[in-house]
Amino acid sequence: MLKSIVKKGMIGVLVGIILVIVARLTHFPPMFQAMFFIYAILGAVVFILLDAPSMNRIEGGKAVVALVLFYVVLSGVYIAGASLWPQYDPEVEKGKIKKILKAKRAKTNLGKQEELIARAKALAERAKSITKQLNALGAGAQVASQGASEVAFTMGAASGDLVALGKEQWDLQECYNCHKLFGIGGKKRGPKLDNIGNLMTPEQLYEKILYPKRWMTEGFEKQYKKGKMPDKYRDLMEDSEVQALVAFLSTLRDTSVTTPKPIKMKLK
Amino acid sequence: MTLQSAIRTVGSSIRNIRASSLLGWGVLVAFLVLPCLVLAQGAATQAMSVEYRDIPGIGSRNVIWFIAQQHLLLAGFVLGVPLFAWVCEIVGWKTKEPRYDKLAKEFTKLLTSAYATTALFGGILLFLLIGLYPKLMAYLTDIFYPTFVAYSILFLLETAVLYLYWYGWDSMQGNKKGFHLFLGFLLNLFAFFIMIIPNSWATFQASPVVVADGTALERAWAAMWNPTWWPVNIHRFIANVVLGGFICGAYAGVRYLLAVSREEREHYDWMGYVGNFIGVFGMLPLPFAGYWLMREIYQYNQQMGITLMGGFLAWLFILQAMLIGVLFLGANYYFWMGISYRIPGVAQSYKKPILAMLIVLMVSLAVWMTPHTLVASLQEAQQMGGAHHPLLGVFGVMSAKMTVANLMILVTFMSFIMYWRAGKQETAPWAKIAKAIMGGVLAVAAITIVVLGVWGYFVPALFRINTLSVAQVLIVLFILVTFTPLTAVLLKSAKTTTEMVWGQMPVRSGYTLVSNAVMVILLMSLMGYARSSSRVHWHVYGVLRDTSEYAYSPALGYAAALMSLNTFFFCLLVAFIFWVATMGDKSQAPSKESPQKVEPGLTPVMAGGSPSSGGKGGVQDNR
Repeated sequence: MLKSIVKKGMIGVLVGIILVIVARLTHFPPMFQAMFFIYAILGAVVFILLDAPSMNRIEGGKAVVALVLFYVVLSGVYIAGASLWPQYDPEVEKGKIKKILKAKRAKTNLGKQEELIARAKALAERAKSITKQLNALGAGAQVASQGASEVAFTMGAASGDLVALGKEQWDLQECYNCHKLFGIGGKKRGPKLDNIGNLMTPEQLYEKILYPKRWMTEGFEKQYKKGKMPDKYRDLMEDSEVQALVAFLSTLRDTSVTTPKPIKMKLK
Repeated sequence: MTLQSAIRTVGSSIRNIRASSLLGWGVLVAFLVLPCLVLAQGAATQAMSVEYRDIPGIGSRNVIWFIAQQHLLLAGFVLGVPLFAWVCEIVGWKTKEPRYDKLAKEFTKLLTSAYATTALFGGILLFLLIGLYPKLMAYLTDIFYPTFVAYSILFLLETAVLYLYWYGWDSMQGNKKGFHLFLGFLLNLFAFFIMIIPNSWATFQASPVVVADGTALERAWAAMWNPTWWPVNIHRFIANVVLGGFICGAYAGVRYLLAVSREEREHYDWMGYVGNFIGVFGMLPLPFAGYWLMREIYQYNQQMGITLMGGFLAWLFILQAMLIGVLFLGANYYFWMGISYRIPGVAQSYKKPILAMLIVLMVSLAVWMTPHTLVASLQEAQQMGGAHHPLLGVFGVMSAKMTVANLMILVTFMSFIMYWRAGKQETAPWAKIAKAIMGGVLAVAAITIVVLGVWGYFVPALFRINTLSVAQVLIVLFILVTFTPLTAVLLKSAKTTTEMVWGQMPVRSGYTLVSNAVMVILLMSLMGYARSSSRVHWHVYGVLRDTSEYAYSPALGYAAALMSLNTFFFCLLVAFIFWVATMGDKSQAPSKESPQKVEPGLTPVMAGGSPSSGGKGGVQDNR
């Protein structure tokens, strides 16, 4: 019996090694090489277990403990496997949700109130510090109010970085799922967009985002017919968000990357 | 009155009191739920001020996750068990064999305690949802209020029918049997509707339809008929049967491990076989139902499909493939062990086919687990020539996965046929020709499935999905539907060359049955996580945002740990239910000094025989 187990085990290991060598030669990542080896060993274990002699029967409390241990092993392998798998970081999604909700919340009365309160607080703080500085210099309250308006202007300028906001929308709306940009993302569902700024005007881009059926891309006829590009963005995005995304896309003018030509469609 | 009969009477009374009190609890919970509907309506007005409440330290989402999972798993068990209990009763009624009727009654006995526990968790879930997620509940109540009323009425009807079905079992024999069967039909009918109504709430969250203006009833009706409702209904219905089968199998496995007497070992060995048999047969069409559901999701919202299959949840499906693979391996391994240990002397002749089947299963599992796109480092990606590996790209697509899923189903079915035929010699004059034809058809079917799979790479996706994949499924179904009766006819006149011996399975068979049940429970939990995470940060996809601090999806490792905890607790609950349900039997059972023999003809027989009919019944004990 032992001879048979060793023989089957050896065959399993041998098959596993062959699989790993083949996987290495064909440039599979190490994780897959390990997986192939585990496949071979798993198969060998199942075949060994078929002929293995029966274990001694355990009774009473010991049997219950053995069952619990068996479950602990099963769930341990399961949790370890799931934890070792490549997985996303929830913090990334948390950050995205925060950004999305910020814009939505700002449109509600509660959001407007919160924003006003936050601004007032910031202004008050700033005014306080400036007044303190001016008092130290011997100036009056007249200059303090001037400081407050400067703050408001600075805040406006900070939020006015349209291209940066557009890049943020690119990530938030997960455009990279279908479009490749800067060599990242894309799965053949949509064209590379590195040179889209040279092919479409901001107005056309705006139209394409909100009404995807009005524009088709050369070489993507199948995807167009299937309606691969969702038409949900006019419901999901605020107008300012679309504007920002358009501003970002308009800056993409890398002629070294071939971005296919968009075609205006005549819809009934 | 003898002491034994006195004990029996007291035991019976205790059982009746226990069963009735448990059912009473069930009804009580149902009545408790009714005021909740009013509370839920009230929540609509309250929601303006409070959107979420939290449970510090644990987190509201974790609590809801845990309770909802327990409720769903219990509900799956409670809805699956009456189905095969009723089928067993029909078989007993048609064949006039009392053993089937006894088995059906045994299954139904479990329902009395399981039903109340399910209702209890349902009640707790509702209270928690109203308390912790008032905004969501207000929204759902506004749309689904009429269905809440229908659900409560159905719950009461189901309770009443279960009372009549269980307590009327003995008195509705003979010419009243037809009425009892009708009650069994009603029990399953109400159970089905009890399942599909909450399904509509859950599927609406994932694939909401535009709720048009109209009466409350019209709006609720429109919301119920959302695109994923029926795919989920069918998928859950089949999965419930699978869950019920494998849990009964696991229970038998545990009892087999703990069994002291030979009779107990024989009985639980046979019961484990029946549980595994039901689980496997339910499992065979399950991938098809899953495929249909995924297709509907893609058609409803491509982004959601991408999130599931190609986005951050893509690796979850590799984990799913691993669980399914282990489940298929476990189910087949149990059949193969049955050939080796229950039918002495035949194992050697089946070694080669078993090895071939194992290889097919392992290769299929490897393909099923292959992801389409890799999460690779930049260096790794450069070596491969992109995120798509030339080989992985080929095996990672649906065409390959559908092909191997069909092959795995075929192999599992053939394992069962092999087990069924082992130890028997066909005597019919046409047996040889029939076997040759079956072998030929099987080979052609397997080759055709592979050819259709390869063809799928060269045709538009729509043609592959609507024509080729459907053809693959139909071929497998054809094999299942034709081979089963043909084998039954062949074996009707067959000569038994080796008697089946029950109670001889090795200890690891019990562990295999437990492992199968654990895999099914983990799978159901994992799919619940996938369904919920596919909505990303939406309570109702695209309609009602989740603005709570738990709007994000937890990482896979964290989710797996919570699923394991859920599974363990559910197993404890099921153990408790079985213990409660069989407590009365133990008080009636004979003492160890005078073990009672298994009454011939009182234990049912399925394909492969039973302790009383198929074999000698444990003639030797070599443990």
